[in-house]
Amino acid sequence: MSDIHQGQAHVQDAQTERLREVWKNPVGWRRFSEVNNSVIGHWYTATAFAFLIFAGGLALLMRAQLAVPDNDLVTAQLYNQLFTMHGTAMMFLFAVPVFEGVAILILPAMLGARDLPFPRLSAFGYWSFLIGGVFVCGSIFFNAAPTGGWFMYPPLTTDTRQSGIGADIWLLGLSFIEVSSIAAAVELIVGVLKFRAPGMNINLTPLYAWYVLVVAGMILFAFPPLIVGDYLMELQRAFDWPFFDPKRGGDPLLWQHLFWIFGHPEVYIIFLPSIALLAMIVPTFAQRPIVGYSWIVLSALGTGFLSFGLWVHHMFTTGLPSLSLGFFSAASEAVAIPTGAQIFVFIATLALGKVVSSTPLLFAAGALAIFVFGGLTGVMLALAPFDFQAHDTYFVVAHLHYTLFGGMIFPLLAGVYYYYPFATGQKLSDHAGRVAFWLMFVGFNATFLPMHFTGLRGMPRRVFTYPADVGWDWFNFISSIGAFVFAVGFSVVLIDVLRPKKQRPDADGNPWNAGTLEWLAQRDESFGMRTIPIIRHRYPIWYQKNFVQDVREGRFYLPDAEDGRRESLVTSVLDAEPEQCARIPGPTFLTLFAAIFLGATFIFATYHWWISTLASAFLTLATVLSWLWTGTGEIPEKQFRDIGLQRRVPLYRSGPASTGWWAMFITMTGDLTAFLSLMFCYFFYWTIHTDFPPGADGRNGTYWLAGSACLVILAWASTLLARRLNTAGYPAGVRSALYAGVALGILGVLAMLAGPWFSKMDPTANVYPATVWAIVIWVAVHTSVGVIMQAYCIARAYAGRLTARYDMEIWNVTLYWHFACFSAVVALATLVAFPNLT
Amino acid sequence: MTRETETGHNLWRMLAPLTIWALHFLACYVAAAILCAKYPQITDLAPLRHLIFLVTFLAVAAVAYIGFSTLRIWRHSLDGDLDYDHDTPEERHRFLAHVTLMLCALSVIGILYVAIPAAIIGSCR
Ligand code: HEM
Ligand SMILES: [Cu+2]
Repeated sequence: MSDIHQGQAHVQDAQTERLREVWKNPVGWRRFSEVNNSVIGHWYTATAFAFLIFAGGLALLMRAQLAVPDNDLVTAQLYNQLFTMHGTAMMFLFAVPVFEGVAILILPAMLGARDLPFPRLSAFGYWSFLIGGVFVCGSIFFNAAPTGGWFMYPPLTTDTRQSGIGADIWLLGLSFIEVSSIAAAVELIVGVLKFRAPGMNINLTPLYAWYVLVVAGMILFAFPPLIVGDYLMELQRAFDWPFFDPKRGGDPLLWQHLFWIFGHPEVYIIFLPSIALLAMIVPTFAQRPIVGYSWIVLSALGTGFLSFGLWVHHMFTTGLPSLSLGFFSAASEAVAIPTGAQIFVFIATLALGKVVSSTPLLFAAGALAIFVFGGLTGVMLALAPFDFQAHDTYFVVAHLHYTLFGGMIFPLLAGVYYYYPFATGQKLSDHAGRVAFWLMFVGFNATFLPMHFTGLRGMPRRVFTYPADVGWDWFNFISSIGAFVFAVGFSVVLIDVLRPKKQRPDADGNPWNAGTLEWLAQRDESFGMRTIPIIRHRYPIWYQKNFVQDVREGRFYLPDAEDGRRESLVTSVLDAEPEQCARIPGPTFLTLFAAIFLGATFIFATYHWWISTLASAFLTLATVLSWLWTGTGEIPEKQFRDIGLQRRVPLYRSGPASTGWWAMFITMTGDLTAFLSLMFCYFFYWTIHTDFPPGADGRNGTYWLAGSACLVILAWASTLLARRLNTAGYPAGVRSALYAGVALGILGVLAMLAGPWFSKMDPTANVYPATVWAIVIWVAVHTSVGVIMQAYCIARAYAGRLTARYDMEIWNVTLYWHFACFSAVVALATLVAFPNLT
Repeated sequence: MTRETETGHNLWRMLAPLTIWALHFLACYVAAAILCAKYPQITDLAPLRHLIFLVTFLAVAAVAYIGFSTLRIWRHSLDGDLDYDHDTPEERHRFLAHVTLMLCALSVIGILYVAIPAAIIGSCR
């Protein structure tokens, strides 16, 4: 690369100066408008750890209560809140967000990008997470926390007298956080697929990025069923629609299905990103490339898929047909194959390399040991007959913590030690690290090993105390001591992380002598990469000649910011050919406001203050629209941008060639999953009832619904026509088509609501009308959003910002309508045709 | 032989075998769930079992088809190693083929596993 003219010293300095200026972080109170991935990533990770400490504190309280029999440190009621909040906060506020935070922090550098494609979306996700998390956790200080366990089984949780406001806080607070997880997933998928440095073909992509891709994809398919479950349960709690009430045709088991279709993949969503950290750490300390790169990719993908076939193993004791149990038992055993494969790859890499012993590696080794043990008890539990015995005892608590600590906490701590220099430019103390490790390792085993025995001796989980002399005392006592030993070990890490440290250990910022790209990013510069390199190897720092120097001296792409804009390169999915220079939006308060208003919407809904809820929903919409209007679809001042090395790429792209289109596509995939889960509920009720839909009742409103389906199809067709006309260059035609689309869409929505309305379907009477209403409302909201989008396009067209050349809005809106129309037609066709078939 | 960028084996084809696994799994689960829930009085599961065997056969055949067509790509690997660490579209093409091939094997195992209960469990209870 050294035959390039870029990069004489004074030119370089001027370039660096311009980059600095463009990527400058806002200061003072404006810091809250920050969107840059390195800052948001820090906040995200730190907040997730704060929730870990909170949830860990609750666990210590529980262990203190259980230390001796017949203890009365906490009441039964408070204990219920403790374990519910502990499980909930650990799973939703720590384990998933910490993945997103770490990924936002390190992924761009690893891919050779300056930021992620939609930094404002990350910021929005972060604020949503913070607001929702504080709201949910805060409830325990008002004695208002949920008490139904982290999986919130009805009928306990739908009984408003038994469960109080806590259950609403859980449902709405966490739905809000699920939205932010999906936002992060979209961001990360597009990042991995489109923001890799040129030359980083998909087979050279760092393993961490592969895992991110798989996990983000899993979030897209796992969270929507839970969102639907939340939707139904909140409808029941707030308006008494009987989805889970057997007296009126509902079924509590439906919740269990929806929860665990989410819940089991969730376990892998937590586990895979931490394993991904090991996949970066192990090669560094073996000082050689990973052995069997393709095996890791195989196992990540395999686990990602197979983990969706396991959910019923949490329902082995619910009386499902034994044949169904057999299917899930089989799939639960099959998933052990890919999971095992990645462990062997790590062992093989270490065996073939020259191992450098270090603190991160120590944590990694501890993690593997614990995880293998937890995996073995998992295989035991996957056998239905064994599970019948151990179900709901402390054996399960022991198993789940072994997998979570081995699969998540210890690898994550390995990652903290490993990436701390990357994130802050300083190293944590090796000595303290070892002490902390042994305290935690011993403490952990002392806590959870005895629980296997208390469990096998019959101690049920979720009991606030137990009688003496049934053979549980000593085991429980040891468990409690162990928990505090673990906490001491964790505090050592915490103190080490927070204490002020001397300046950076070595000048080039690569203290472990790692080979992957992220170690090249400049810590003290907010632009991260000085220039976007050309990648020729999986471990460029090890194997590409003069690589570090060439990057630092700006000898690759985009070494300058002469247009005064934040920029990064968009490349093709498979072979990472440069396709576009993306202008990346800078700081804004709009994302913060959007999160606050959306949060307010959910919080007001919790208290059933409907007027305020509507008002905040409206404010949210207004904020999001102004965010879109000012921040997206910008028309560049020129067609092409010279990115250096004699290459020019376009500045504007639309349709399937643009990142925005992909984001829409991915979001809509998640949305479609949610819709299909809702339809699953309809058919679920059909299987359990002989009269679903109940007789003549089902055939009401047919004409309205059928008419609505036609209107929605026409609205979709108008949108499509508008896009065609736009490409062909008939601006007036575009606007007319869109106007027609708006009108047809509104009529479609009214007609679909008229169906159940005029046939006087009472959603509280029985589960059938309730289901019809739930589906119709879902589709109506989606169609209405489509109408707003059409109106947005009309406004853009009048403002001269939607033209034949600059047309990404209309592409994205049409894509939205493909999905919206599909779900409307499926829903309405089912509601119309199914009652007549059965 | 040089390959054009963005041509050849792609991510969708890589995901095909696992998708077939998922569809097969769903088909078996849904068939059994509907039968057992709607007709609890049925004692003879033979028709269901035959259906499941048929679906299993189709699924395995589909995966095998993908597997064998992928095998052809992957067999004449240029440099004979399994590292795929070169920066060329050709190498990427082979890498994806290799992963697909392994996923085919995994999917077949997964599919057969799921069929086992159908072979040995004789009733809904
Ligand atoms: C020092 C660390 C920890 C201790 C001492 C601890 C202790 C406990 C105890 C005693 C229970 C059972 C409560 C009961 O059934 O009565 C429990 C449940 C649970 N824990 Fe932990 N835990 C720790 C860390 C974690 C972590 C890191 C996670 C996840 C990332 C986690 C996730 C859960 C979940 C999901 C439950 C089930 C809650 C429920 O039953 O609804 N725990 N934990
Ligand atoms: Cu599970």
